[in-house]
Amino acid sequence: MNLVPRSLQGRLLTLVLGAVTLTWIAAAVMTALDARHELDELLDGHLAQAAALLVVQQARTDDDDDHAVDAPTLHRYAPQVAFQVWHEGRLSMRSSNAPREPMRAAGEGFSTGLRTLAIDGERWRVFAAHGAERDVQVYVGEQLRSRASILLAVLRGLGLTLALALPLLALAAWAAVRGGLQPLRRLGAQLALRQPQALQPLAMPQAPTELQPLLDALNGLFARIAALIESERRFTADAAHELRTPLAAIRAQAQVALAEADDERRAHALRATLEGCDRAARLVEQLLTLARLEADATVATAPVDLAPLARRVAAELAPRALDRGQALEVDAEASALVAGNETLLAVLLRNLLDNALRYSPDGATVRLTLHAAPGAGTRVLVEDSGPGLTEAERARLGERFFRVLGSDASGSGLGWSIVRRIAAAHGASVAAAPSAALGGLAVTVGWPAA
Amino acid sequence: MRILLAEDDPLLGDGLRAGLRQLGFQVDWVRDGEAAERELRAEPYAAAVLDLGLPRLDGLDVLARVRRAGVTLPVLVLTARDAVPERIRGLDLGADDYVVKPVDLHELAARLRALVRRAHGQPQERLQAQDVTLDPAARGVTLAGTPVALSAREFDLLHALMLAAGRVLTREQLEQQLYSWGQEVESNAIEVHIHHLRRKLGAGLIQTVRGVGYCLPRQAATR
Repeated sequence: MNLVPRSLQGRLLTLVLGAVTLTWIAAAVMTALDARHELDELLDGHLAQAAALLVVQQARTDDDDDHAVDAPTLHRYAPQVAFQVWHEGRLSMRSSNAPREPMRAAGEGFSTGLRTLAIDGERWRVFAAHGAERDVQVYVGEQLRSRASILLAVLRGLGLTLALALPLLALAAWAAVRGGLQPLRRLGAQLALRQPQALQPLAMPQAPTELQPLLDALNGLFARIAALIESERRFTADAAHELRTPLAAIRAQAQVALAEADDERRAHALRATLEGCDRAARLVEQLLTLARLEADATVATAPVDLAPLARRVAAELAPRALDRGQALEVDAEASALVAGNETLLAVLLRNLLDNALRYSPDGATVRLTLHAAPGAGTRVLVEDSGPGLTEAERARLGERFFRVLGSDASGSGLGWSIVRRIAAAHGASVAAAPSAALGGLAVTVGWPAA
Repeated sequence: MRILLAEDDPLLGDGLRAGLRQLGFQVDWVRDGEAAERELRAEPYAAAVLDLGLPRLDGLDVLARVRRAGVTLPVLVLTARDAVPERIRGLDLGADDYVVKPVDLHELAARLRALVRRAHGQPQERLQAQDVTLDPAARGVTLAGTPVALSAREFDLLHALMLAAGRVLTREQLEQQLYSWGQEVESNAIEVHIHHLRRKLGAGLIQTVRGVGYCLPRQAATR
């Protein structure tokens, strides 16, 4: 079982009360030690003083009889105090509770000063004094038990106070902790009342500074979730809207084909209908790729050789390029290993080449070059001899559904989003620039040196 | 009826042009906003179909600009966006109709005809002048209840004159309304069509304003 309670309130209460009790006990011990020391000094002083008085008094009395004591019991404390007065080795006076032997340890000679010794099974504190005249020896003793009881009384007082104060203190601490934790409970209540779609920041105008980091973290999280949901929502809306155009085209062309009497024109409309279907299918495929990419931001990493992958992708695209009289070249002799997901990297290469072929005119050249120098990272360069892009158009690349004006190519504008997304997931950078070699667009996907 | 189609999507533009031509419209097709604005300001179209997602100049901007320039022709906005605030914005900026893709060609044609009719103050679909009735949707003309066979050009010419009843249309105006880009116009084409119309529908229907053009008298056109 865990000794520290799970509730913050219980934990605070335990800690506070524990600390108070420990401090109190420590203080009591210190007080007791201090009190005993002071008590000893004080009472020892009294013993010494009493002894001195007796010495002075006995020096003047001429009474040699053994006065068995008659010092009256003046105080309830008196029985615990005893004295002996010796004249020249004879006991001349003693209190009634004092023994007849000198109050000193057996076998010990007389010496002045304080000592602690046992007499008749009782522990005594004895002060011995000596008067030069008539060889007066005076012993004044006090039972140690009395000192102990004084000390006990002091300690009892302390303990009693603690016993009384602790419950009161516990109550006060409980109230204080409860009051102090109020903002936390308010926050909890606010969170509990939230609708799942409510993502506006939490507002706690008088939030304590300790809660502020938590509030900031929560609000940051809400903001990120809101942005994510917003981007998903926009994506869905954009995707649905983008599909409407090819659908409208398919519908219009099909209606034209239905109503057209002229064979040539009907065939044209039917071909356009099919083209529209292809385009809608391609758009759907790309949307799915993008949706999967956005849902799963992490990429399983295994070493992938880009060289054979590039050749394979190029081989898939080559027939269509040949149909349009385009030259598709791959310059990837050396192997180029990068860490990543082979399927996604194939999608990236296909989109790069497909874009280049799609937006280049018939007869154009598209070249993929693989640079893999040890220590310099890996670069995939795809360039074409097409019309290229203006700086403004390059800046807008990657905006979803952005299509370059004036191209009849049936692009969806999603290819770049996909390329960027896959590159980002692989820690690679994407850059577009004019191609120095071919005059069109040059796109570089670069991996930093491992 | 000659209309301007502003659509940047090649497949959809091609399909709409072909489809609207089948339904009797003369269609000029532009692919970006700047061209759309230029054509709308310069040429006398009966109506325009405007896609909103145009490159270079957004369709709504085109609309706002030509409306500011005083162009009043009916504009049908064709768009993939169907949220209500967007419709409201489009209509507020001067669109006369708002159609969401995909659209049925017959519906598009009917909406265009309705827009043109209303723009000419004709609440009814059928147009009437004396005992001649013209049905734009069916592209049919009857004379005293008997169907009359007209060529496409003859029909368009009669339609233009009936829509503008009471006003004189010059030969150039008629040519511009009848022929889209790239169509050869013989110098006497209008005269020939007028001649045929008079032969088929009676000489008293269309009046010649010598040296100016042709007119269908207003009082004759009491539907």
